[in-house]
Amino acid sequence: MGKLVFDAELCTGCRACELACSFKKEGVFSPTKSRVRVVKMDEEGLDVPVGCEHCDDAPCIAVCPVNAIKEDFETGAVLIDHDVCIGCRLCIPACPFVAIAHDPVAKGVRKCDLCDGDPECVKWCFTGAIRYVESLEEYRREKRKAIAEKVAETVSEGGTGVSQWYSA
Amino acid sequence: MVFSLGGYAGQLLHIDLTREKIRKVELSEADCKRFIGGRGMDAKILFDSVSPGTNPLGPGNVVCISTGPITGLLGPTAGRVNVASKSPLTGIYGNSNAGTNFGPEIKYAGYDGIVIRGRAKKPVYISIDDDNVEIRSAKHLWGEGVFETTYRLQEENNGYDTRVAAVGPAAEKGILFGSVIFDFWDAAGRTGIGSVIASKNLKAIAATGTGELRVADPDRYWEVAKEGWQGVLDEPGFKTGEHSSLGTNVCVGWANAQGWLATRNYQESVFEGADLISGEEFRDKFSTKATPIPGGRACMSCPNRCKRFGRIEKGKYAGTKGNIEFEGVGAFGSKCGVSDMEAVFHAYMLANDYGMDCISCGNSIALFMELTELGILTKKDAGGLDLRFGNADAMVEMVHQIGTLKTKLGKLGATGTKRAARKIGKGASKYETTIKGMETIVCDPRASKGFGFGYAVGSRGSDHLRAHPVFEMLRIPKEVGEEIFGSGESTTQETYGGKVNMVVWHENVGAITDSMGTCRFMHASYYAGYPIPEMLAKSKGRKDAHSIKYHDWISAATGMDLDYYGMLEIGDRIINLERALNVRFGIRRKDDTLPRRFIEEPLPSGPAKGQTFPEERLNKMIDRYYKIRGWDLKTGLPHKRKLINAGLEDVAKDLGERKLLAKK
Repeated sequence: MGKLVFDAELCTGCRACELACSFKKEGVFSPTKSRVRVVKMDEEGLDVPVGCEHCDDAPCIAVCPVNAIKEDFETGAVLIDHDVCIGCRLCIPACPFVAIAHDPVAKGVRKCDLCDGDPECVKWCFTGAIRYVESLEEYRREKRKAIAEKVAETVSEGGTGVSQWYSA
Repeated sequence: MVFSLGGYAGQLLHIDLTREKIRKVELSEADCKRFIGGRGMDAKILFDSVSPGTNPLGPGNVVCISTGPITGLLGPTAGRVNVASKSPLTGIYGNSNAGTNFGPEIKYAGYDGIVIRGRAKKPVYISIDDDNVEIRSAKHLWGEGVFETTYRLQEENNGYDTRVAAVGPAAEKGILFGSVIFDFWDAAGRTGIGSVIASKNLKAIAATGTGELRVADPDRYWEVAKEGWQGVLDEPGFKTGEHSSLGTNVCVGWANAQGWLATRNYQESVFEGADLISGEEFRDKFSTKATPIPGGRACMSCPNRCKRFGRIEKGKYAGTKGNIEFEGVGAFGSKCGVSDMEAVFHAYMLANDYGMDCISCGNSIALFMELTELGILTKKDAGGLDLRFGNADAMVEMVHQIGTLKTKLGKLGATGTKRAARKIGKGASKYETTIKGMETIVCDPRASKGFGFGYAVGSRGSDHLRAHPVFEMLRIPKEVGEEIFGSGESTTQETYGGKVNMVVWHENVGAITDSMGTCRFMHASYYAGYPIPEMLAKSKGRKDAHSIKYHDWISAATGMDLDYYGMLEIGDRIINLERALNVRFGIRRKDDTLPRRFIEEPLPSGPAKGQTFPEERLNKMIDRYYKIRGWDLKTGLPHKRKLINAGLEDVAKDLGERKLLAKK
């Protein structure tokens, strides 16, 4: 049971994830059709990947009037059963990440399905801004180590930059 | 509508600002096969619509903003956009290329390119929202800087989903090297096409596209793209942190160590303050993002992430932010003798906000500084400014003066160094280093002969991005150079052997990448499809060359059946088309040369101490180059037979009618 982890700090904004996703899922190159999106905040030099977090207590599941959205307990994916979905679109505003899109051609909604536990976007994200982790605890351990190392470096240099990169 | 070739959006957007007419025209499949797209296609459009008498800043000039078949697809470095027009700076073929998200966006909106003609009665901007294209008032934006313009157009349109191409107030006021700035920071700076856009009363283009792009052979394309992507990640330079850790500014250190960092207006090629304007300095002082790539950002679909974003937090330049690149740092740094990174960063962002080419702007200031030290310019000429090399405050002040065209020197600087030096007189022209009217970049040609030769023959003037012959800088084994270009000397900077072959080959491939919509920063891949990567891999004890073959890439995307030689032929065709265009604008052999300073003045210090680029040597190289290109040795005019063999019958006919073909 894995989870996607999005880390804006590591995102370069190359959007390979969007193109890989749209190609894998729809056979075309189109960011609009991608399940994951990168918000390019060029003015601030930031890029923020946004996608389905496959929430533990997913609002899309709660809001769906026909129970078309369910959690797959094997992969941890929150999935849409397209045979059941009536395309009412209630789930779109319910999702805090607007990670669900309306598909006018298929007459329904589309969202990330974690590519059956082998997400394509992750394969193209060479900086690790989007990761698929089996164990969140392991991820936290790694991340904690990286943060501690940076703090240690700043402290040993006697610098005052800690607050600066915390806010970055 | 589905276009017959894959990769392309399938149509061009023709906008006539005088008549306020917008037309969507299907691409010509034949022209796609002849010129690919981007730079090649733009040259063809200009050849068909701009005449020798066209005033670059008049309504008769045409601006092309275009992409290639790979732009916007998944694959390494696929985020390029090309702009082309008749240049107001040089009076000849002008073009510039930028890595950004704007190119892909217009393709998702359904257009491979935008062709702009005429002149609007009042300031306007073009809004593109998929099928919906409008010419709108830009009254509220006229006079605003590039950053404010971009910000407001995002606010007014689709927020972060709006990509913006904008020109700045300098271009509005008539600077001759106005740039086009995409998405705040990405500049197509060279040859002054921003000025042409402003002369049409066009302030900006705001684009959003939600469409899709298809390729001809999806399975093959996927494999090619994946291998190419991995190829970049596996490149030795990438792994050791070449572009990945410091961006292009990593070159400050290399250039200085190898002795080609133009310093104090090309008087020297090593700079004692190089460490203070280096990529490391920028990373440590200004980078905003923490790990593991400080400030690293990428263009669309690119693993290189060579852009470096930074911000100045305190001091007199607090609030300055943006992406920096090597050329701008060299222009305001070493060329002006300035080793204050804050001032260099600030000047760079000012130039972007005013919307002017950093390189030409920095060269203007460097020239003024040298003329001041020589006593040709006085403090009075500079309005009391102490324009000596190394004076950071004076350098920044000059950027303001050139960007606003307000003072005497500001107005002069805004015309480029060739015109400025001529106007100043008193022998000032000896100290400007333009070729065909365009300012030289930061790589000193005396220390790097392939680059230097590339400047001399470059179709847009003194610039590295026609040839970009980095082959001589990458410490490639001599045997490789001998095998490919006929001389082991082609692998070292200060030597001449094999350099003409090397430059011709790089020009051809460069024309292809600019036309397909990809970047020059794929060096290992650049040499792919040819024996070079295999030989390189072998010489480094690696089994796999890991590189993308451009002809495979184009073929998989478009469905054209290109092989390596067929691709190089297209490159040669594009170079010949550009030559034909330039010949119509009056370019002859005499214009393919180097500035006197590089020919006569030996470098005084550093690894290339004592080096010049002797005229005799240059002439012999040009003879050889012309023979390969099929141009007349005496005049530089193309031969009819050559043009026809290159698939340019229509061009040969046109030049024949104008009596611009070489006599047999």
